[in-house]
Amino acid sequence: MDLILTIILASLVSTARVFVVIGLSILTGWGFGYISIKSKVFENVYVALNEVFESVPVIAFFPVVLILFVNRIGGFVGVELASDFLVFTAVVWNIWIGIYQAFKTVPISMIEEIENLRYGFLNKLKYLYIPFSMPRIAANLIPSFSDAFFYIMVSEVFTIGSTSYSTFGIGSLIVKLVRLGMWNYVSYALLILGVIIGGSVYLLREFSTYAIARYSLESDIPIPRTKQIQRYVAKFYSPIIKPTKRIRYYFASKYTPVRGRKERGDYDYYSKKEIEQRILKVLGSIIAFLILGIIIYSSFSLLTSITYAEWKYIFSNTLEIVYALAYDYARVAVIAVLSFLVALFASYSIVNHKKVEALVISLIQMLAAYPAPAYFPILFAVTYGIVYRFSGTLTTEFFVILLGFLSTFYYIFYNIWVGIKAIPKEIWELMDNLGMNYFQRIRYVVLPGTLPYIITGLTSTINSAWGGLMIAEYWPNIVEGKSLEVSHGLMKLLDLWTYQGNLMLASWASFIFSLFVIVFSVVFTRNMMNLSKEKYVIEEGIYAA
Amino acid sequence: MLLYEKIIKGGKVGRVLEAVDVGFTYGKREIFEKISMSVGNGRIVAIVGPSGVGKSTLLRVLGGFLRPDEGKVLLMGKKVVRPTPKIMLIHQSIVTFPWMTALENVMLGLKYRKLPKELCKTIARQMLEMVGLEGFEDFYPKELSGGMRQRIAIARALAADPLVLLMDEPFAHLDELTAEALRRELYKILFNVNSTLKGVILVSHNLSEVVELSDVVYVLNGRPATIVAKIEIEMERPRNPRDQKFYYYIDVLNDTLLYKGEG
Repeated sequence: MDLILTIILASLVSTARVFVVIGLSILTGWGFGYISIKSKVFENVYVALNEVFESVPVIAFFPVVLILFVNRIGGFVGVELASDFLVFTAVVWNIWIGIYQAFKTVPISMIEEIENLRYGFLNKLKYLYIPFSMPRIAANLIPSFSDAFFYIMVSEVFTIGSTSYSTFGIGSLIVKLVRLGMWNYVSYALLILGVIIGGSVYLLREFSTYAIARYSLESDIPIPRTKQIQRYVAKFYSPIIKPTKRIRYYFASKYTPVRGRKERGDYDYYSKKEIEQRILKVLGSIIAFLILGIIIYSSFSLLTSITYAEWKYIFSNTLEIVYALAYDYARVAVIAVLSFLVALFASYSIVNHKKVEALVISLIQMLAAYPAPAYFPILFAVTYGIVYRFSGTLTTEFFVILLGFLSTFYYIFYNIWVGIKAIPKEIWELMDNLGMNYFQRIRYVVLPGTLPYIITGLTSTINSAWGGLMIAEYWPNIVEGKSLEVSHGLMKLLDLWTYQGNLMLASWASFIFSLFVIVFSVVFTRNMMNLSKEKYVIEEGIYAA
Repeated sequence: MLLYEKIIKGGKVGRVLEAVDVGFTYGKREIFEKISMSVGNGRIVAIVGPSGVGKSTLLRVLGGFLRPDEGKVLLMGKKVVRPTPKIMLIHQSIVTFPWMTALENVMLGLKYRKLPKELCKTIARQMLEMVGLEGFEDFYPKELSGGMRQRIAIARALAADPLVLLMDEPFAHLDELTAEALRRELYKILFNVNSTLKGVILVSHNLSEVVELSDVVYVLNGRPATIVAKIEIEMERPRNPRDQKFYYYIDVLNDTLLYKGEG
């Protein structure tokens, strides 16, 4: 009974960790988003870094995390921060860039209206920018939640050299239970985690629907009335709310021109506005230069701290790293193609059957948020015999690809599903009318019409596949007496070097890996995205002047 | 009881598409009931009525996109149960595929006929020429004006060799000058010697467009909607909008719509 309570508590702690990290990403996103629309210098640095870090998979941060948080800070706080930071890097870029894009696309008429009413910085955020960013945040919530859970499972417990670090949570608890062979408690843990994840996904879905209905400029979804909930919340939190309200009113009465107070002249207003603009510009520039300074300084100090012998050592391993990376790119390609095909045919099949669609989407959202590393050992134990009979020597590759698929399929599925949903009704009617068959529809309309969505989904799928490979390529003792280990693969090398405490080589491999990923992103992803945005926007097929 | 009625000599013109006592319900709301209408050979039939009365829904029932809850739709005597290239719908919002050239867009209408690719190209070129887009074959829709895009949509529909064309406010998104130019050419384009087209059903809000183009007008009104009037336009083509008779028909249509509106 005590263990069950511990499982419940651990699941709640992990869930709380995820929500805190997502909340922190949103709060910082609003701040940075606002500064970036006011300061050009900050905007340039912010957007560029976001683009780079968004294309770098989370695992590339692993050695940095270990060096910075575990070695330098250390102790309980260091391990806790390391775990939180990994989850943060998994969710933050999408949320930040989403908020930034929302802030950049606020209609000029709305900005003029709010300027006209002489709103200050906080009110502008509260009444215009934050509500306007809500649909984008809502769209990112469930994928971010899934991502965060995936990484919280692997970051709650990790080993460097002979030391194993762990922080309390469901991830570390499941690992412990598996090691002790307490399989009945592992299944209870998975069940309890499933219930908590199911509940969280349900709440996030409700919130997303509400946010889109209420804050989207064009939405047919009716806005749910929540007066009763509001009343309850107000009653429950009133002791907390009241003092903050009092403080707010005090500042409001002091600094804003309200009824009954002497109206400030135009000159005053503009000078106040100019001061605010200048502060934000200066602040933005300072932060931007600070970030650049830190990057340059750390790169410089890192490069100068490495001795000649160490350079020689890491260079001698570079060929092996590149060779292993080629193996992993082949695996990622298989995962991406498999995910793409399943996503395309599955989403096309469900999109015109409303009940099936609702059921499948709910199931997939649940499954996506359910971290694959938690249930994979059970799947492995149950299916190993059958898979080995059919795959023989390729059994390891099969399981590696399977875990990669399970951890990443959802991204492309969501994107293609949304893309097919966005095909205008008129085009469906035209396809029916022209008597087009299944493959003609896919070839001439669905594939080109959803290309921007496919590219976005494929990019996320490829980026996330690395996380799955990182776990699957080197998993000692996945179940009693059995290990999962590939012969060649960069993710295995990263795992192995981290495990052996060879952080220098692990960092070098991460650096080379990041370089390849960035070049791939610039050369392939960006060009494909530009092409698809230029030519393959199905909404442009409808001319309604 | 119809307010104005002049019986078309059905036997003479032949019934290409026919709706027999058709009714349609959306959720719990009955949109229309007991609709009987037909389009004869070489005729343009218009459906008019106030906004939201169910004109576009009726058009989709006639095309087999929606199944009627009562009655049936017949094409050359055979029941229509699903969309078919023999009844082509042209949408109010002009539909073209942005990743295909004008020629490729028209060729899409020929896919179901499974013809050799070269023959498809030749037919598509002929269709584009017919709608006045010769020389624009390799242009993408976004490089063309709204009127030209609608010509592509018409060419694509005609390339499918339809017997009936359903046009859902086809000029609603065009400026008045472009719409007028297209209206003037439409009859010639639709019923040319190379076309298999036998009849057209047009939904419109624009009464002068209706008088200019159609041979018969069905007026839809009420809740659930029924046909409250059927008016035959007896004027030579091309029709002059300054003609006294033209004004007379517009007045008749206006009176019919207003009469039911007050009731």
